[in-house]
Formats: sequence, structure tokens, C-alpha cells
Amino acid sequence: MNEQIKHPAVMNLARRDARDKLRGLTQYTIDHVKPGTLNAFLLRSEVASARILRIDISKARKMPGVRGIATAEDAPGFFGIGIADHPLFAKDVIRYDGEPIAAIAAETLEQAKAAAAAIELELAPMPALLTMAEALGDGAPLIHEDWKSYEVLLEGAARGGNIAWEAKVVRGNTDAAFARPDVTIVDSCFTVGRQNHVPFEPRAVVATFEDGRYHIKTSTQVPWTVRNVTARALGVPASQIRVTVPPVGGAFGLKFDCSLEPFAAILARKTGRPVALINSRREEMLTCLCRENAEIRIRSAVTPEGEIVGREATVLMDCGAYGGEQIFLTTMTAHTLGGNYKLGSVRLSSRAVYTNTAPNGAFRACNGVYNTFALERHTDEICAAIGMHPMEFRRRNVLGDGDLGSTGQVFEGEVLRPMLEKMDRLRGASPRFERLEDRRLFGRATTVGTWFIFVGPSAATVNLNADGSATLITSGVEIGSGTMTQSLPQIVAAQLGISPHEVIVKGADTDAAGFDLGVGGGRTTVSIGAASTAASEEVRRKVLEAASELLQTGVEELVLGGGRVEIRGKKGSGMTIAAVASHIQKTEGPVSGSGSFTNPGVDAMAGCAMGHFIDAIDIPVFAVHDCEVAVDPDTGHVEVLSYRVVQDVGRALNPRAIHSQIQGGVVQGMGYALHEDMSVGPDGRILQSGFETYRLPLALDVVPVEIELHEGAPSIGPLGTKGAGEVPILNVGATIACAVSRAIGKPVHSLPLTPPRVLGLIIDEARPLDLPHISRTWSDNTISNSRI
Amino acid sequence: MTLTLNGEDRLFYGDPMTPLVDVLRDTALLTGAKAVCREGFCGACTVHIDGVPTPSCLKPVGLVVGCDITSIEGLGIEDDGMTPLQQAFEDHDVVQCGMCFPGMVMTLTPFLRDNPEPTREAIKHALVGNICRCTGYERIIDAVLSMQSTGEISA
Amino acid sequence: MKPPAKRQLHIASSLDDALVMRKSLGPSAEYFAGGTWIMRADLRQEFDDRHYIAVGGLEDLAGVAVHQDEIVIGAAVTHGALAGAIEGLPDLAALSSAAQKSANPAIRQMATVGGNLCTRAFAAADLVPALLCLSADVEIALGTELTRMPLAQFLAGRDGFSGLLVRVIVPRQRRLSAHARLPLKKAGDYPVAIVSVSVMLDTAGLIRNAIVAVGAVEDTARRWPGLEAQLVGRRLDADEIAAIAADHADEFSGREGVEAPGWYRVKVLPELVRRAFADLPADKCGG
Repeated sequence: MNEQIKHPAVMNLARRDARDKLRGLTQYTIDHVKPGTLNAFLLRSEVASARILRIDISKARKMPGVRGIATAEDAPGFFGIGIADHPLFAKDVIRYDGEPIAAIAAETLEQAKAAAAAIELELAPMPALLTMAEALGDGAPLIHEDWKSYEVLLEGAARGGNIAWEAKVVRGNTDAAFARPDVTIVDSCFTVGRQNHVPFEPRAVVATFEDGRYHIKTSTQVPWTVRNVTARALGVPASQIRVTVPPVGGAFGLKFDCSLEPFAAILARKTGRPVALINSRREEMLTCLCRENAEIRIRSAVTPEGEIVGREATVLMDCGAYGGEQIFLTTMTAHTLGGNYKLGSVRLSSRAVYTNTAPNGAFRACNGVYNTFALERHTDEICAAIGMHPMEFRRRNVLGDGDLGSTGQVFEGEVLRPMLEKMDRLRGASPRFERLEDRRLFGRATTVGTWFIFVGPSAATVNLNADGSATLITSGVEIGSGTMTQSLPQIVAAQLGISPHEVIVKGADTDAAGFDLGVGGGRTTVSIGAASTAASEEVRRKVLEAASELLQTGVEELVLGGGRVEIRGKKGSGMTIAAVASHIQKTEGPVSGSGSFTNPGVDAMAGCAMGHFIDAIDIPVFAVHDCEVAVDPDTGHVEVLSYRVVQDVGRALNPRAIHSQIQGGVVQGMGYALHEDMSVGPDGRILQSGFETYRLPLALDVVPVEIELHEGAPSIGPLGTKGAGEVPILNVGATIACAVSRAIGKPVHSLPLTPPRVLGLIIDEARPLDLPHISRTWSDNTISNSRI
Repeated sequence: MTLTLNGEDRLFYGDPMTPLVDVLRDTALLTGAKAVCREGFCGACTVHIDGVPTPSCLKPVGLVVGCDITSIEGLGIEDDGMTPLQQAFEDHDVVQCGMCFPGMVMTLTPFLRDNPEPTREAIKHALVGNICRCTGYERIIDAVLSMQSTGEISA
Repeated sequence: MKPPAKRQLHIASSLDDALVMRKSLGPSAEYFAGGTWIMRADLRQEFDDRHYIAVGGLEDLAGVAVHQDEIVIGAAVTHGALAGAIEGLPDLAALSSAAQKSANPAIRQMATVGGNLCTRAFAAADLVPALLCLSADVEIALGTELTRMPLAQFLAGRDGFSGLLVRVIVPRQRRLSAHARLPLKKAGDYPVAIVSVSVMLDTAGLIRNAIVAVGAVEDTARRWPGLEAQLVGRRLDADEIAAIAADHADEFSGREGVEAPGWYRVKVLPELVRRAFADLPADKCGG
């Protein structure tokens, strides 16, 4: 915002790790495999569902180069989110194609593979449930026979049978709303496939066992989760585990969970040697913790004036063989599918469903991406049904100051409406495409999205060194978005009055910094930023107090800047911060400050949210996207002609870096909307095993995104910032789907919109999608207390 | 086998079918080339073989005996320096996770030498074999185009 | 789980040496030219032991000779080298285009003409339909003999072919040609359907005859006789010809694939025909 005085923390600081990355010198975890490190390989199941009758590793043990083999016996613990349903190795039962059965460490990878092939396995095949419809069918076998005995890690949710977790929202009386004589009822169904993060660096770990402790060097976003889950899986105290994190070659949420680390840890202890375990690209394709495939039914009761008096929806989320992230993510339906708009009454059911397929996980804006697709397409269908212009409907209904969210939280600030206005102006300023020179069909759409910043515990320490530099110690990881190298040093530097180049950012080490929930979901800037701010504030206070004594001037008259403490208004007065730091170090001891942060919590309405990890969001993030598309009526190819984003950032600490995140996130969204198809074959194996069949956007497939950053919305983040790296992908599926639907004049109910799918829509009669296994009677799609 | 690697002769004693990318990374400890897809689609393992950008994941080491192999590490200037293309990328702050950039540099360096004033479209065509998952490409192209105005095209 | 394959590399010193090696090493031996297909064997889950006979450097398989009445292309010539050698030759536009657009820039410097023609399992090969529409012949070495045959005949006998493709001969004729390929993205992925055409026009500018080759739709590229017959005597009107193609598309049964279903490959054929014919240089009316 132009009226704000530019804050010293705001700048387009260049990232400091670019040089080494450009010259190929950066050592990612995959580059830490030095001579002498053993190579590990996982024997993975090649069937989707079976009972393990016998495993015999005796032949494998004797194969050349083999130094250690681990199986289920070595990892007794179950882990998970919400419920502990996940053993490290398949234990008695195989639940998905690709499930680890044994881990082998050998001198070379080839030797490890040869040994894996020599492991004798006797299996009794069992029926495999490959779709959620099958898993929810009457009489469907249980994928987790012992589900009742699993340790519950968060109370209050319904679950049962093949439903790993169910989160519900009930606010107001939707039955009454739908029964009103003046409403139009619109019912829409949607289905989406999985999306694979394809970080260029696969999941990778190098582990050692030294002095009775495991040292795990891993490509992760969540060092503390790795520590704690590895401890549970191995059945050892968490204090025995140290996790450090080299530069990460992309993550996008795939690495927001513990995965390969415990295997390497066990083998490191067994062999007494460093052990490297790195997923091949094929393994990453077939066992990725994908954005889940999902099926949605959403119905709304809308008055002729466009008021949404009632909304009901059911979302089926495929968690694969184990609950994992999807259990947590059932929470996010309320804030996304139940977001954007004012609702008179609402009921939502979000169910994580087990299937005999590879477990899914978190990927940049998670279910927000497909929920926004479903919501915005549904909104367009409502507009068509009541004859209202889609932009007029959105203007009337978007959440504003004082409006209630689906769980009853009260939103603060007028954010979405001004953002819609900004998008209007952005659109008006660009060249228009509507008259295409060729035979193609033109479409355009503007969409609205709601996401959140994943606030939660973070800790930070700032050491002020005697030379005037500062060391920032957190468990934050640089995964590519730049926040560790930009926003954080910018914040600390501004607090301390030194240059960001003087702020040393220590790489994540669970032995050094306190607990952190992890990097992702906008956490780095907000949570780690807040903890870092608190830590810097403590250092700043100490410096000012000491300087005040040394300079015989009141603290209020002193300013920090340019590496100096100066008396306000007297340029050149005072002393260097280094001198103050040296002084304190000599007289009292080294200078440091510590900070800690977690979400204060926002109130939901009592009784509205059941089974939610987050009842109400502390920091919402809004986005308005707009695009123009051209569709080839003869081949179904969709070309995105232009793309615009207005993003709610609170405060832009590094505008250039945010622009980069938006360009990158939109392109990932284009992949989701148009190209990246993932499907499960009849044997339960993902069909897209590499880049030949999993099509990622290339330079030719993209357009430069026009961007406007919206500042000023309320945020408890440092300096009023909100995280900006995750949300750029949120509305892309929605925006492109709505535009394509308008271009071809047919409803769009599925993503991705690959050419064959679009051509099918064009040439077939318009047929609404119906999902018979999701009942139109909302309560049929919930677990009532009496049934369990 | 004697390989000429970044101007130096090195001996390799292993299996001639070993992909060159693995020889570079595991034996020569030149980890700049990354084996991301092992299919020739992503470009992250690109090296120059007799000056020609080549996916090193698909090249058996036994077939490059006697060839001049240049990896990203061999491209640069001495004493911590960078080529003009690398400098342009740094100046525009376009690097994110960084895994794709060595391959981008290896592909674009000979391309720019042969096409000193490319259009945006031409650069995009040149990058059909270089995937980036983080940046969304356009800012990479901007950085390359910026070199024209500074006259710094020659790599 | 299958154990890792044992793969051995043998570098042939001459054409005869390659043939002798193949005979002595037996059916587990394969010729290795560019290697872009072979080096992905693990990804296709092919774990049989193999001997690879490297022929990429053989002189007999090298070079593109451009003569007045034909061009001779060594089997080990890369797509990139071929494109460079025939750039600007108007009668070979289909081949030029195919060689310039296949795969991606780095693969084009590595993958060979021979590999493109001999890889039985690779249905989306660009050079095959382009060479078919230009009436190319191939010269193969089987045992001690060099045999020349039309490309179509070679393709029909590819199953169990154990010889070595040595060169490809393309006649130079006063024909116009074009190559239309359809990847699902703008570029970089394999085409789901390919149409290559060459036409000879009469003095009135009407089509005297046309050869239309279709690739990627079925397992092996082949001609489109039903459409070809309809084009004799017609104007070079891309839209008209596309409409005729729509009536004859059912001659093909599209192969199912992970990336696209069979019906789609057939459905897009008329549009590809339109693009190919629209691409034929309108100002060249040969005789």
C-alpha cells in the first residue's frame, strides 16, 4: 500500500544460495552419498492386498556386499496423524502396491537390489479395494481389520470401517433452508485425480549411528516430525535421534511427513556404517504422498437475490492404505469448500477413506485446490440456474468484515471485495483476447479462493556475535521458496539494525533449535518469522539497554540502523553494534535472545465443528484469479492465453520473491488443471510411472502471470505479513475449469482437462456427473454415533 | 577407460554400461548433474559431449571414451566466478530449489552462443528438454532476454 | 521382484564385426545406436540379461549424402544431424519437420534414424510416417547380405528382425510434403497421432496422387489407402480434404495408451490431415 512508510524489513533481497546452485556446487541430501556409504534399497510389495505368510531373508543375507537387512521385527511402533494406523514395514498384511516389506543395505545399489530379489515371500492374495466407492460399499472387507484397537491421537472424530476419519460441520438448519419455497436448489458432483509433487530431488536420507544416537540427514520439511515419528517407529526415545537438513531440492508438501528416514536409521545401527536411502523416480511416481483423488457432492439452496441460505456437501478423500495427512486435511474442507461465501446454514462431511492404494499426503494447498475447483464451478452453475452474472453473485456473497465462516468464526476486515475490484482494474488494463484469429473457442473466468496459514509452534534463538553479525537458529528448512534466505534475515536484520547479509541463518538441526511444526503452509514467514521476531526483540532490548548506559542516553533516543546505534537526529553519533555486543559479552556474557510462537487460536461457534484439528483459522489467505483460454474444438487442446492473480499477502516483505512463488505456483496449478493425470490401474498400481506419461508443464506451455499483491488485510504475522508461497496454486484448477466450461458451453466436473477429456466433453451431449455412492441426503454420508 | 572430464584425463575402472551421470556423481564426485528422471525428459543431467548438450543419464560411459566431456562444474570461470548467463540468473533472483539450473545453464550456453538474439518463443523451444518444477519458467526467460540489452550474450 | 539385469557393452569395429558379434552372442544381443530407448529398459521393467553391440560410430552407418535423385541416410545419423543436412530441401519437408520436432533438442542430438525405425515397441516414432509418405527404402544387413526393400515391407517384418539397418534411401521427387504431429502439450511429449503427407500435383494444380501415412495411432505406422484413393484429382483444399478424412477415419483402430485412449487418436486424424495439407506450400505447383 502506497500510504505505508517503507519498513526497513521490506526489500527485494536476493537469495544467498543462488551462486552455488547455479554452479552445481550445492550439496543436497542426494549429494551427501560419499564413498564408504552403504546403499539401501526397499523391497516393495508388487501386489495391492495380501496376507504375508512367510518372509525368508536367509538367502538374501548371504548375497555379495550385503551388510544388513531390516524387516517388521525391527520396527515395532505404529505412527500416524490422528490415529496411529501405520507400521513402518508391512506387518502380516500388505495394503498397497509398493508397500515396504524389507530394507537392505549393501556396498552398491545393484547388490542391494539383487539381495532384495533373493528374499523369499509367500503371500496369500486378498481382495483389493481400489476405489472409494468399493471401500464404502456394503459388505466391503476391512482394509484395517484392527481399526478399533488403533491408538487415537486426537479425540472427537468419528471413524469406522474403511473410514479413517470424518470431520463434520453443522451450523444452522439446512433442512429448513432447502425446504423454503423461494429457493432454487443446485446439486453438483465433481471428481479429481491425484497430483504428484515431482520435486526434482526425490525423498532421500543418509543416516549414521554415532555415540548411541541416530543422526539422520534428510531432505525434509519437518525435522521434528522425522525425529518423533522415527522414534515411535523404532521404539526408541526421541532424544536419541538428531535430524539435520541439507538444502532441499523441492518439496511442495511431499516432505511434510516422515517417510524413508526410519529405514535408513535402522540399517545404520545394524551395520555401523552410514546408510543412504534414496527413492528412484519410479518409486516417487508410484508411492508418492500425492494430493489425493477426491469425489465431491455439493448442493445449495439459493434465493432469487442470490443469497445462499443453505449449503450441504460431502467430500470423499482417498487416503490410500494409511490415513496420513488426509486425516488432518478433513479439517480443511470447512474452510475451503465451506469458504469464500456467506452461508445462512451449512452442513459439511469430509471423510478420509481407506483404499488399497499408495497413501496420499499434502501437496501445496492440499484439498483447497480441488475444493475451490468444485466450489467455483458450482457457483457458476448456481449463477446459470438463477440467471445472475457470476461476478455480481461473487460480489454480493464473498466473505467480508464480520461475516461468519462455516464453523462460525467471525472474519475480520474487508478483503475479498477490494481484491475483486483490483482484479477488475487489472483485467481492464490488459489486452483483450476475445476475438481469436482461428477456429478456437474463447473463455474467461474469475474465481475466488480461501486458504489459511498453517500457524503452529515454532522456536527461534538469535545470537548477536561480537563482530556485529547475528546467527538465527531455527528448525526452518530452505525448500526453494527462499523464505529462509530472504524474509527471515530481512526481519531479523531490520529488528537489529544490521544488514541482512550479516544475518547467518543456521540450517535445521533438532539438537540446536527448539520444536517446529515444519516448513510449508506459509509457516516459515509467519510462525518461524514470529518466533524470530520475538528472539530479535530480546536482543534488540539488550543492545539498546547496554548502549543507553554506554552512551548515557535514554533508550527512546536511540536508533539502530546500518550496523550502528545512533542518537536520534545526530548522524554519525553513537557506536557500532559490534562494539556494544563486544562490551556486553565482556561484562555479562554473550548476547542472545529466544522467541517462541504458536497460534493464539480463534473461536469457532460452539458445536459446529466435529473432528477438526483446526476449528477456526487464525490467518485466512484470500486469492482472486482470472484467466483467458482458447480451446481447440477439433483436438480438445486448451491454451491459457493470459493469467492474472490478486493475492492477499498482508505485507509483502520481499515482493520479487512473492512474484516468483506466484509464477511457479500458477504453473503447478496449470499442470493440475490441464496436464497431470494420475490414475490407478486394475492391479492397484499407479499407471504414470515416469515423465513420459506424467506430463509436466514446459516453458512453451506457460504464460507470464500478471500479479497484484493486496496488502493491509489483518494478520497476526510479523509486520502483518501472511505467508505467500503456498496459496498461488489454490484457484488455478477452478479458474481454468470455469473458463473452459464457458468456452465449450458444457459443464466441467473433472480435472485434469486433458485434450481427450475436453474433446469428449465437446462431442458428447452435456451430461451432469452423478456420484451414486454419495447420497443426496446429507446425513447418509456421515457416521452417526449409533452405528459404531 | 580414460575419460576427458572438464579438460582433465581421468581413469574409470567400472562397468562400461554405467550411465555417465553416475560416473560423474559417484566416481568423479561432480554432483552438479542430477539424475532426476533417467528418461531424457527433464534435462537436469545435461552435460556437453564434444560441445553438444547431452542427457548423461542415457549415455553409457563406455561410449564417451575419447570424447570431451564438460559438466556444469567445468563451465565456469576460475576463482568463484560465474558465466554471464549464470550472473544474469543471479541478478534476477530466479533460482528457487536450484536442482534444474545446472541443466538449464548447460542447455542455454551453446544455444545462446549460436543464437545471440533469440526471441522469447525461440528460448522456450530451446528449453523443451529442460523441466523446472519451481519457477514457472517465465522469469528464467526474462533473465536470458535481459542479457541482450547488456550485450552479454556470449557465454 | 526380478534381480537387476546383467548388461554388457560391446563396441563393434566395423559393420562385419557387428554382424559377427550378433551371430555369436545370439538372441540376447541387440544393436545399440543412440541408446535413448535401450537405456530406459529398467523403467519398462525389462530385466532380461542383454548384450549391446554399439554401432553408433560405424562409418557404414554414418552420414547423409544428398544427391539429385535421392538422399542416403546412414542409420546412425541423429535426428538433429538429419534435420541439418536436409534443411531447405522442399520435397523433403515432411522429413525435415519430423526430424526437427521429435522429442526434445538434446534427444534429437542422440536418437538415430535407425533407432526410430527399428524400435518395434515405440509406436509414436516421428520419422517412420514421414519416411513412409516419401516412399523410402531401407537397406538391411542380414547375415552377410545387404538387402534393400521398401520401408513398409521392413515394418511388416519387424517382429523377430535380427538384422542391422544400415541406411535409408529417400527418392527425390517433385512432390510437396508435410508432417503434422499432435502431442498433448505444446511439445516435449510423444505425439498421440501423426499424419505425414506427400502429394504430386498436375499442371492444373490438382492432386495427381497423394501418399498419406499415419503414425502413433496404431502399433506400427502405415498408409491410409482409403483417403489416398479419394484425393486423386482434387484441389489442394485442406478443409475439404479434412472432411473426406473424417469419412474414412474408421479405417484405423486406435491403440489404447496410458496417455490417450484409442478413440481420441482416431478422432483427431481429420484435423491433423487438415493441418498437414494446409502446410503444403501453396505456391509450389509441381508438374
